[in-house]
Amino acid sequence: MLVHQAPSAPSPATGAPQSAPSQQPSAAQALPAQSGYTGPVIVLDPAHGGTDPGARGQNGPIEKDVVLQFARVARVELVRQGYRVVMTRDDDSNPSYDDRAAFANSYHDAIFVTLHISSTGTAGTARAYFYQFWSSFPPQSKSAAPDAGETNPPAPANPTPVSSLIPWNEAQRKYADASHRLADQLQIQLAQPFSGSPTLSKAAAIRGLRSVAAPAVAIEISSVTDTNGASFTAMATPLAVSISKGIQAFRPANSAGAK
Amino acid sequence: MARKWKIVVAALAIAVVVGLISFHSLRERVRRLSQAQSVEEQARREVLAPPITTPTDVTVAAKLFLAAAPDQLAPVTIQLPLSADPVQRSKQILHALIASAPTAEQRTLPADAELLGFYVLPDGTAIADFSDALVSEIPSGILSEQMTVDSIVQTLENNVPALRRLKILIHGQEAETLAGHLDLTGYFELNPPADQASAPPGDNSSQTPPGQPPAVNPPVPPAASPAAKSIPAPQSTTKP
Repeated sequence: MLVHQAPSAPSPATGAPQSAPSQQPSAAQALPAQSGYTGPVIVLDPAHGGTDPGARGQNGPIEKDVVLQFARVARVELVRQGYRVVMTRDDDSNPSYDDRAAFANSYHDAIFVTLHISSTGTAGTARAYFYQFWSSFPPQSKSAAPDAGETNPPAPANPTPVSSLIPWNEAQRKYADASHRLADQLQIQLAQPFSGSPTLSKAAAIRGLRSVAAPAVAIEISSVTDTNGASFTAMATPLAVSISKGIQAFRPANSAGAK
Repeated sequence: MARKWKIVVAALAIAVVVGLISFHSLRERVRRLSQAQSVEEQARREVLAPPITTPTDVTVAAKLFLAAAPDQLAPVTIQLPLSADPVQRSKQILHALIASAPTAEQRTLPADAELLGFYVLPDGTAIADFSDALVSEIPSGILSEQMTVDSIVQTLENNVPALRRLKILIHGQEAETLAGHLDLTGYFELNPPADQASAPPGDNSSQTPPGQPPAVNPPVPPAASPAAKSIPAPQSTTKP
């Protein structure tokens, strides 16, 4: 599966990824774009949903509900800061990983933030993660490094330009450094209201980030086991402000082009 | 002191003594129950997966990477007979990782998880096949899943130097994720070449500059690693 790599120049967010998964979240969830807006589209992704509750606490909190609440509060804060914001779900649906990625990839110049609650970890701490690919081992795929003795197929007479297509499973690769920088900025902001949090972001092979063709991070709050619903509600605003400040540091609302 | 007060004080003193004795007895019972549970679990495990012994076993100080804090691993050294054969050695060390956590808090793999098979390909690619319990009984979340994988990776890395990368299977099948978050479709790096090992093992925080791969790496996606889709014949197919 391939994903269309967005052109470098800003363009209307109308293109859908090539071979995109079928059940994309509804575009009606998108807030209307401001006139003349040139900044990034923030894609907020409340994890889980539907029949997948995610982490479940003994005293009631369920990850899918808490992260939806977090995303809604963050959306308000980000819009207040002048960003255009969309959500992969705004109800109890459960889009697949690829549907969520396809939704993000359909927007030019997006920033993807997926929200999670853990089952473990010190209560009230927050972590930002980015996906990082290993680039030198194992050996490159056959197209890049054919096996010894293997005959290369003849080049087509009229080769199709492939520069704008990247493998679906490697969509995040091009954005690994940007995602790393974004995660660092978010972690700096998260460490302030969420005391005890690490000061550095972490690399993790999070499936939900792999096919996103944009700067993409996961934020996970600890933990559903030791925190009740009221405490999570109290975390929503500090989390939203941290996300907003982190994105602002990474990419101001009205800056055009990829950073 | 009035007689009735003396009676009250005496009754209170008796109550305190009885309470202390009861508390001590209760604590002993809890301890015995805990030991019994541990012994039962150990016995069950020995029936299901008897200890692996080989002619080349040598008792060494093996390092198991167990949880030292909710978000931190630390090596715990135990004396363990380990084989010279990388396949058997890996099985021995992973069995110990599952069974030998001194406390429940230090455990990184579910107690019911089993290593169903372990194979090593000629290029140093290791394939560890775990039972479904690894998926179904692990706490959900990025943090816990990352701790589990890091624990396996670092334990293998520090005890079986012949291994180069690791593929984790669940009941013989490739799993998309461990428990909903961590990508298992690719390979985890083990013992990277010296020129790539810029970060200490397991330190995958962003202390490494952007673009510099961490010591424990996310899997390479199948598109970049065709072997992820078709695993060559294993070097050894001995079940534990």
